[in-house]
Amino acid sequence: MKALWRIVVALMRELADENAYARHLRAHGREHSGAEWRRFSEERMRAKYTRPKCC
Amino acid sequence: MKVIWRLFWVAMAVLAAFSLGLIALERGEPVNSLWLVLAAACTYLIGYRFYAHFIAAKVMLLDDRRATPAERLRNGHDFEPTNKWIVFGHHFAAIAGPGPLVGPTLAAQFGYLPGTLWIIIGAVLGGAVQDFIILFASMRRDGKSLGQMAREEIGRLGGMIALVTVLLIMIILLAVIALVVVNALRDSPWGTFTIAATMPIAVFMGLYLRYWRPGKVLEVSVIGFGLVLASIFGGQWVSHHPALAPVFTLSGVALAICVIIYGFFASALPVWLLLAPRDYLSTFVKLGVVMMLAVGILFVRPDLELPALTRFTDGNGPIFAGKIFPFCFITIACGAISGFHSLISSGTTPKMIAREWHAWPVGYGSMALESFVAIMALIAACALQPGVFFAVNSPGGMVGATPEAAVATISSWGYPVTVAEMNALAQDVGEKSLFARTGGAPSLALGMAHIFASSGGGRAILGFWYHFAIMFEALFILTIIDAGTRVGRFMLQDLLGHVYKPLGQTSWMPGVIVTSAAIVLAWGYFLYQGVIDPLGGINSLWPLFGIANQLLAAVALCVGTTILVKMHRARYMWITCIPLVWLVTVTFTAGLQKIFSPVPRIGFLAQASQLQRALDSGAVAASKVAETQTLIFNNRLDAVVCGIFLVLVTLILIDSVRVWVGILSGSRTAQTNEAPFVLSQLRAEEI
Repeated sequence: MKALWRIVVALMRELADENAYARHLRAHGREHSGAEWRRFSEERMRAKYTRPKCC
Repeated sequence: MKVIWRLFWVAMAVLAAFSLGLIALERGEPVNSLWLVLAAACTYLIGYRFYAHFIAAKVMLLDDRRATPAERLRNGHDFEPTNKWIVFGHHFAAIAGPGPLVGPTLAAQFGYLPGTLWIIIGAVLGGAVQDFIILFASMRRDGKSLGQMAREEIGRLGGMIALVTVLLIMIILLAVIALVVVNALRDSPWGTFTIAATMPIAVFMGLYLRYWRPGKVLEVSVIGFGLVLASIFGGQWVSHHPALAPVFTLSGVALAICVIIYGFFASALPVWLLLAPRDYLSTFVKLGVVMMLAVGILFVRPDLELPALTRFTDGNGPIFAGKIFPFCFITIACGAISGFHSLISSGTTPKMIAREWHAWPVGYGSMALESFVAIMALIAACALQPGVFFAVNSPGGMVGATPEAAVATISSWGYPVTVAEMNALAQDVGEKSLFARTGGAPSLALGMAHIFASSGGGRAILGFWYHFAIMFEALFILTIIDAGTRVGRFMLQDLLGHVYKPLGQTSWMPGVIVTSAAIVLAWGYFLYQGVIDPLGGINSLWPLFGIANQLLAAVALCVGTTILVKMHRARYMWITCIPLVWLVTVTFTAGLQKIFSPVPRIGFLAQASQLQRALDSGAVAASKVAETQTLIFNNRLDAVVCGIFLVLVTLILIDSVRVWVGILSGSRTAQTNEAPFVLSQLRAEEI
């Protein structure tokens, strides 16, 4: 059950792009800030929303 | 241990066969939905464990020693090796759309049996295979898209055709799902207020996430969900308010105009302000509702009230015309096989796969789960009394414009229903009327509401659950409309940029406005024609969408087959060729019938001719002349669009066969474009 809960939480964080943001901070050696989130989310959304959403 | 597993799989096979046999042969007594659940679950498990494993091991030769692009090109952004269950969930969330919910609901017109069999068999042998093979191919090619793979493996023509086909399909898709929303909200102040409220809620979420609590997506999604629930209660209050109710009671045409205006502005606004927060919210709601529906069905175990086969297997169905072959398959579309999934399978997912064998659960398994969602939607629809189902889904033009005429027609079909019964049901769910609420969404919402209410709360909260289900469907449909219009604009700008360079710049505002308007007007026109169609827009638009979607799947299977031949796995090309041949047969039969059938309800040209004859003979009232002329034009346009799809896929089929024959005869070298083999250094603890 604990393992299942961990996977569910990790999935929710992945779908919320929070994991991707954490990887971004690690990859660039930066700290979280409003400006950094805006920079990350603009880049991520630009990539995400150039692809069609499924029907 | 091995013996126990063997016995387990034998038991699964026996249970699957028994359940399928019972579903297929039981007549007279209502069949419990649990048999559909068992048949589907057991068949998917067997397909996954044996057929998909065979494909992975013998056909694709998946190799965990080989570094995936997630490892080789790891950049902390899109290329990142990720735990397989997280990738599974991510991929499933990306492929889950309204198609597997609406298609099976409409196909229930034939009874529960044809839809059930196609959803299960089609997914196991076709849809899941397509998703799996495209994911595998893209993974071996560093995450290349379907269009890029078509260009590299088949030829430049293949790539161009894939691009144009996707753009055309998107226009039809956006129109048809917009029609589903319009029909669900027509004359419904409760529903309209709830959906309208999601827009300021999404804007609030966008501002919250960008400025007040940056990065707190889960937090703002919980707040957003709470606000959306409050808006459902707000909608109930509005529907009883003497001044506000008329403001939110909109006709189909008015709603269509609202959705078109929404589509234009939403696709031009910054992504962070409306689209992204709505997308986050709709993803979580979608996954939550699917789980709730699964639990609800297991808890309530409703009987299937619709018979195994209805009288409409003869092709004269009120929801859409045409016989089981080919129209059941076209209508179900995404629930069994979806060309759109190949775009997702060659998008983000291949860049997250940590080990090659993870493609097995992610590619095949997630499509099997999507197909299971289709089974649940079919159960929700078939749990309704047949008379109620047809009263909700049949357009006025087919059964009569008044409730009295409708119940008389439907009862004469052998599916008794009364005006009092429908009025009581409408009152229970807080709607003025449930007659002719076509498009599939209202009847699906009714079925879901009954299941949820039976799980707890009863009739007293049927209205809440009905509008919750409408909200859930409309939320992610509007997200698809917003995102799809945006993507369509990018694709159009990409194409037009070759003609006039500034149009290709996505930051040049005049270009953004012109191309957004072009895309919105394109799907908006088809939406409008669907709204004014007296036979119900679903009769013409959904088959057009289904044909387009299945033809894109045929394109994906052409790419998959080409890759197998080039990998010297030609002796296994039957795994993609069998579904390809079936799809081509079904879609070409459907396409040619939709163009040339002499039956006006089926054939676009026949309907145009019938309307033209009526116009020429003076049988059309003066007030309806302009509308009739528009309908004639629309039918001819639909025939042309259908013809274009058939021509495009014929071209790619010919091009693909040319490549296969060339390689198999030795006149052409078999050269794939896979990334080179690099030994994986990834440690288990990293994923």
